[in-house]
Amino acid sequence: MPEINEITKIRRKVLTEIAQMTFEGRLGSDVQNILHSVVNDEGPRYRCCVHKERAVLQDRIKSALSQPMQNSIAEAANAALDGVIADTPVIQVLPVACDQCPLDRFIVTDACRNCLAHSCIASCPKKAISVIANRSFIDKSKCVECGLCKRSCPYGAIIEITRPCERACELNAITADKARKAVIDYEKCVHCGACKIACPFGAISDRSMIVQVIQRIKAGRRVYAMLAPAFIGQFGVQVRPGQVMSGLRRIGFHEVHEVSVGADAVAVEEAREFIERSQNPGSFMTTSCCPAFVGMVEKHLPSLKNNISSLVSPMVAAAMNIKKNDPDGIVVFVGPCIAKKSEAERYSGVVDYVLTFEELATMIVGAGINVTEMEAEAFSSAGSKDGNIFARAGGVLQAVENVLSQLAPAIQIQAERCEGLGNCKKCLLEIQSGKREANFFEGMACTGGCVGGPGVLTDSRVTTKLVENFANAALEKSATSNPNSEPMENLGLHRHQDNQTHPLST
Amino acid sequence: MLTVEICMGTSCHLMGAQDLISILESLPASQREQVEIKGVTCFKNCGKGPSVRINGELISNATPDRLLEIIQANI
Repeated sequence: MPEINEITKIRRKVLTEIAQMTFEGRLGSDVQNILHSVVNDEGPRYRCCVHKERAVLQDRIKSALSQPMQNSIAEAANAALDGVIADTPVIQVLPVACDQCPLDRFIVTDACRNCLAHSCIASCPKKAISVIANRSFIDKSKCVECGLCKRSCPYGAIIEITRPCERACELNAITADKARKAVIDYEKCVHCGACKIACPFGAISDRSMIVQVIQRIKAGRRVYAMLAPAFIGQFGVQVRPGQVMSGLRRIGFHEVHEVSVGADAVAVEEAREFIERSQNPGSFMTTSCCPAFVGMVEKHLPSLKNNISSLVSPMVAAAMNIKKNDPDGIVVFVGPCIAKKSEAERYSGVVDYVLTFEELATMIVGAGINVTEMEAEAFSSAGSKDGNIFARAGGVLQAVENVLSQLAPAIQIQAERCEGLGNCKKCLLEIQSGKREANFFEGMACTGGCVGGPGVLTDSRVTTKLVENFANAALEKSATSNPNSEPMENLGLHRHQDNQTHPLST
Repeated sequence: MLTVEICMGTSCHLMGAQDLISILESLPASQREQVEIKGVTCFKNCGKGPSVRINGELISNATPDRLLEIIQANI
């Protein structure tokens, strides 16, 4: 993750103030104050004036409350306090915030020598290039952005510029409309969050459910936090897991569970499924724990849909287990991931809410808690080493291989793995066409795996090591022998057919 | 020796305290050895973070650039 920039700070300030006001019971009356505390008299930082800055902020607040953009922030606050989560996309372009980046795709730079050859003019099929003021000039009204001029210039004087959001999206799901506003095509989008991280104007936002979760806690419901295994190091490099547990209990979470236990159950079941599929010659199976990867296969490589493992994700497995023991409990998944917000919608009644680590940290601060000052409760992971390494790239594969070596050492696994949706797609196509040979594939949408997700708080280069250390310290070394995950294996951890269609508008 | 105390509390962590440590750790060796980095759990300055205290003076809303400026001016 890059350094904490101004956009990140503003987003976190907005979330923190909302959380604090909700805990203190004054969000409904005070939500307007955020417009003045976050954008203060020191002046707007990016926009033309303070009024525009506040208009953008209103959009941010509505997104943070999971409310539609057409409502006022007062209406939005009251709806969120009532527990409403509007039927809006999980990730969207904030209408006022998008700066309509006025980029021409091909630009002639100062490096143009106005040479005699004029290969740019010769190469242009639309006769869009002429020489003006001793330099080549591209007539935008004729240019069709084919790029031939760029390739033809011997000086490399013509450059290509793309919008950061478009460049970040490896599935071509975000483009500019006629007014140059960014538009997300939800038939292609898998909610990975890459565009949100890339936009230098902070104009793309995922909706948050912090208010709805806090209200459930305040109402005295038994609210369970399920922490993704990537939580190690997120709240500070030196913060011990036991301090995080104490902090969450202080906020009012009834119990804190680790999703790594669900990952153990998934690793065992996934290895079993692999053994079963291996009976058929030419079998090929992919992992199913990364929802953005699963979404990419379903939407962009539908012919491989049946090759995705039939297992639910560790999040769903862990949630099913909680609901089995406490059907009235409220289950909140906390992780590094935006796509999980979309995945959870397929499992209503199982996973009730999804928060990112960032959102949870703003809740912690909003509740007036500093985890570095919490007493650490005695803590060792309930998950095995296998379940804990799911948090970093290569971990799911390693866990499945480990289980396989115990259950069926004779079965050959020939595995490939990729990080990044573009890489995953390319590799899967090569496997499908026979260019590459593999019978198992681990797909991760984010570079580095979950620790590199869009909702993390600590650089993945640091947390990858911390996850590894934490996994190595786990009391249970293998998913196959973890007594905590064993009961989950009987919960029916397979995705139902009707859960496999992605709701297009979410 | 310049003592730089950096708040590692949850509020300052959210606002980028780790970036301040990273920039200090990456100082050239000749400067790095003149700086002592200490982690602090809270300066009671939450909401104005990240907070840093250099030789006793508290700095609010610290950024890596600002921190470098102060350090270069003081060693």
